[in-house]
Amino acid sequence: MSRFAARDKPLALLILALAAIGLLILIGPVLIVLLTSFTTSQALRFPPPGLTLRWYADLFDPARSAQIHVAAGNSLAVAACTAALSTALATGAALAISRSRATWARMAEGGFMAPLVLPGIAYGLATLMFFSWLRQPPSFGLLVAGHAMIATPFALRTIGASAAGLDPALLESSAILGASPWRTFRRVVLPLIMPGVAAGAFLAFVSSLDNVPVSLFLSSAETDMLPIRMWGMMETSLDVRVAAASGVLVAVAFLLLVVMDRAVGLVRRMAG
Amino acid sequence: MSERGAWRLALPLALAQLLFFLSPLLLLAATSLATDENLDTASLAAWRDVLGDSFHRQAVLNTLRLGALTVLATLLFAVPLALLHMVAGPALKRIILLAAVLPLLTSVVVRTFAWIVILGREGVINSTLLSTGLTSAPIPLLQTEPGLILALTQIEMPLMLLPLIASLGRIDPALLDASASLGASLFRTLRRVVLPMALPGLLAGATLVFASASTAFISQSVIGGGRLAYLPSLVWQQAMVVFNWPLAAALALTLMASVLAVAAALSAVGRKAAHV
Amino acid sequence: MIEMSRRHALSATLGLLGAAALPAGPARAAGSMTAAVYPGGWDEALRAVLAPALKQNHGVDVAFEPLFAVDQIAKARAARGVAPFDVFVLDPGPRVSGMDLKLFEPFDPSRLSNRGKLPAGYADAVGAGVAAQVVGIAYNPKKMEKPKGWADLFRPEYAKQLGLTGFGTTFGTISLIEMAKSVGGSEENMEPLFEALRKILPDVAAVAQPAAMPGLFQQGQIGLMYTNTYTVTLLKSRGVDIEFAVPESGAAAFGTTMHIARGSKNIDAAYQYIDTMISTPVQSALSQAPYFFVPVNTEVKPGADVPMKSIDDLRTFVTHDWTKINPQRPRWIDRFNREMAK
Repeated sequence: MSRFAARDKPLALLILALAAIGLLILIGPVLIVLLTSFTTSQALRFPPPGLTLRWYADLFDPARSAQIHVAAGNSLAVAACTAALSTALATGAALAISRSRATWARMAEGGFMAPLVLPGIAYGLATLMFFSWLRQPPSFGLLVAGHAMIATPFALRTIGASAAGLDPALLESSAILGASPWRTFRRVVLPLIMPGVAAGAFLAFVSSLDNVPVSLFLSSAETDMLPIRMWGMMETSLDVRVAAASGVLVAVAFLLLVVMDRAVGLVRRMAG
Repeated sequence: MSERGAWRLALPLALAQLLFFLSPLLLLAATSLATDENLDTASLAAWRDVLGDSFHRQAVLNTLRLGALTVLATLLFAVPLALLHMVAGPALKRIILLAAVLPLLTSVVVRTFAWIVILGREGVINSTLLSTGLTSAPIPLLQTEPGLILALTQIEMPLMLLPLIASLGRIDPALLDASASLGASLFRTLRRVVLPMALPGLLAGATLVFASASTAFISQSVIGGGRLAYLPSLVWQQAMVVFNWPLAAALALTLMASVLAVAAALSAVGRKAAHV
Repeated sequence: MIEMSRRHALSATLGLLGAAALPAGPARAAGSMTAAVYPGGWDEALRAVLAPALKQNHGVDVAFEPLFAVDQIAKARAARGVAPFDVFVLDPGPRVSGMDLKLFEPFDPSRLSNRGKLPAGYADAVGAGVAAQVVGIAYNPKKMEKPKGWADLFRPEYAKQLGLTGFGTTFGTISLIEMAKSVGGSEENMEPLFEALRKILPDVAAVAQPAAMPGLFQQGQIGLMYTNTYTVTLLKSRGVDIEFAVPESGAAAFGTTMHIARGSKNIDAAYQYIDTMISTPVQSALSQAPYFFVPVNTEVKPGADVPMKSIDDLRTFVTHDWTKINPQRPRWIDRFNREMAK
């Protein structure tokens, strides 16, 4: 922040201080979870009396944690389908809304956000009631649809924020130059809203991955879900593998971020 | 992709919501107007119980207040972090981005344990305060509103920070330099150059945080505890323990209507600001 | 016809969504069934002990659906009375709800080859008892003297360590009833309980969801709570400083029961499942580390933390009539919410 003059120092320092506290708030609890996952105690405990990797070994043990692996597989499959579906639905809707100043667009925007504010338990209950009335038992498809309803508003909001900044003149000039709508979308619109789309897909993915209330009603014996399983492990026995599972997620996300960073850099170079 | 045909892009989402959200929602509304879920007998008892009862009215206000305070708390830290991200070098940028998504990666289940560790009587904050002599006895944090807001600030911050970072990412750094070299103060640059660009992200974040914090059932009940009454826990209790589904439905719809009203207001502000 | 086309159109839509990853709802093969099971310890135990025994004895494959008792009832009820699994496992409160809602098939105890090993009354026209739960006081021995009875929880030195839970669970409800009795109340009169709670409320360490209790206990926020021997033994085996205290008025006990879901298409397998669950080898394995169930099979000796020599002693424990409790419970829950609210 050296480019700012002396009179700006107090404000710059305040911003830095708040950002530092913000980082602490974001990272602190996660550090506690990570440290706890290495505990030598038999149950979740902080501070850990000693450090060990045995809970990670336990978590990856194909015999002892077989059912956790099944549940993790189910949860990842549902989250991936949910993210894909939500992002596609939300991108279309966000472009439509950002392009129009009509009253319907404003109302639709509000309406599309509605699933976010209905308590998940009530949504899960109502959805199971409705589809039972249609004689549709819970299935993988219904579970994904239910998760996608909850996840789409997250994607819609972040993609919408990116789409709102699109310059209409840019789209018009692309059309005037004879580009097809799809080509305009792929070559002009998508690159511009990509940060929003990526953020939206990510939010939809994690919102599905961590969903308890909708899964409670719409999952079945074939779709045993990870958060429900972890909830039981935590509640009855303070099982440390619950913390280790979070450790794995953080590590994977860290790797993903590095890889994506490389990939995005690569794409940028290719585009340039 | 003309402006007139644009509405067709919203059609898939509209149809999906019609089948998978609006229809169940209508069934929920019908349930709230009946004596039980068989929908045989109509009754306004559930709505009388929600709207005519001071305990339930208070729970509505508590819930909206929790959402609003969480939005303010996340703003306080997310805006500085997003600004720092905007001007930071690549290494720091990556650290901020990773920190921003970290809370989403710790499952809600184990997160509740982390907050017991931090806020508890023998927790991290209290032992720090005690050892530095700032207090002589542990201060209650767990199961208090400030403690819950602190926890929600961490949990909901990504929803504010990610859209903000995305919005600010579109600002050309040269613009900031230009503003500074023209003699504008940092404050003026932030207000005139950065804020207008940040506004869509900021409002998007505020809507998401408000909605998510006011419906965060598990955090509210586990970190907030049984002495703070919020609507989602009451919905859960009526639906899953008492099996009074009309009342659960009426409570859920009340929560939904009040939060939507706030979200719509935020969105109206956003459109006005964006089109002025 | 309308019904058919409605179903057809919807199946097509859902099928399309599901086709990407998994087939929607695979058909059940003969000799297979689905059972609800409590998440956590029960889930692990039944998968490890009961499932292989069932496969070996009867050639039946069982799939488990982890759901708490109230969630099983809610799910069956939301699905118009037809549970998406064949066997329920329930505590007394939800059991009575399930009976009221007619969620169970009539049960014929004579189809259980092991019914003679159950105490009298443990298999009836509704279902069969498969485990017992003994409820009392759990305390941290490093922080306090062993409490003598329920009335101790209201004394200031204990109250400031106490973690309260409401009427949402079976163990919570019967503990609060026993606490009411200790201050002059009864199953019909909870007023003395609320009065006594009001006095200690400013000092109690936490009022929390049952799910939060083990974490609060482990991290020292609370040092006293009401719970069952199963939880105490499980936490103790994992190094938590926790002991079980039998109140002077006696520990309370109730049975965990299994029921066949109405409309089940795997009734034979369901009987074989319940029969295997109460068989001596399975009950014996479940009563030991790391599972610590309280057995109902009279041939199996209960574990060290269970204050009884055999299941026959269960008759001397405090029991409750859930047909009387259930109608009052919504009112108690509502009252508890309001009393606790700041």
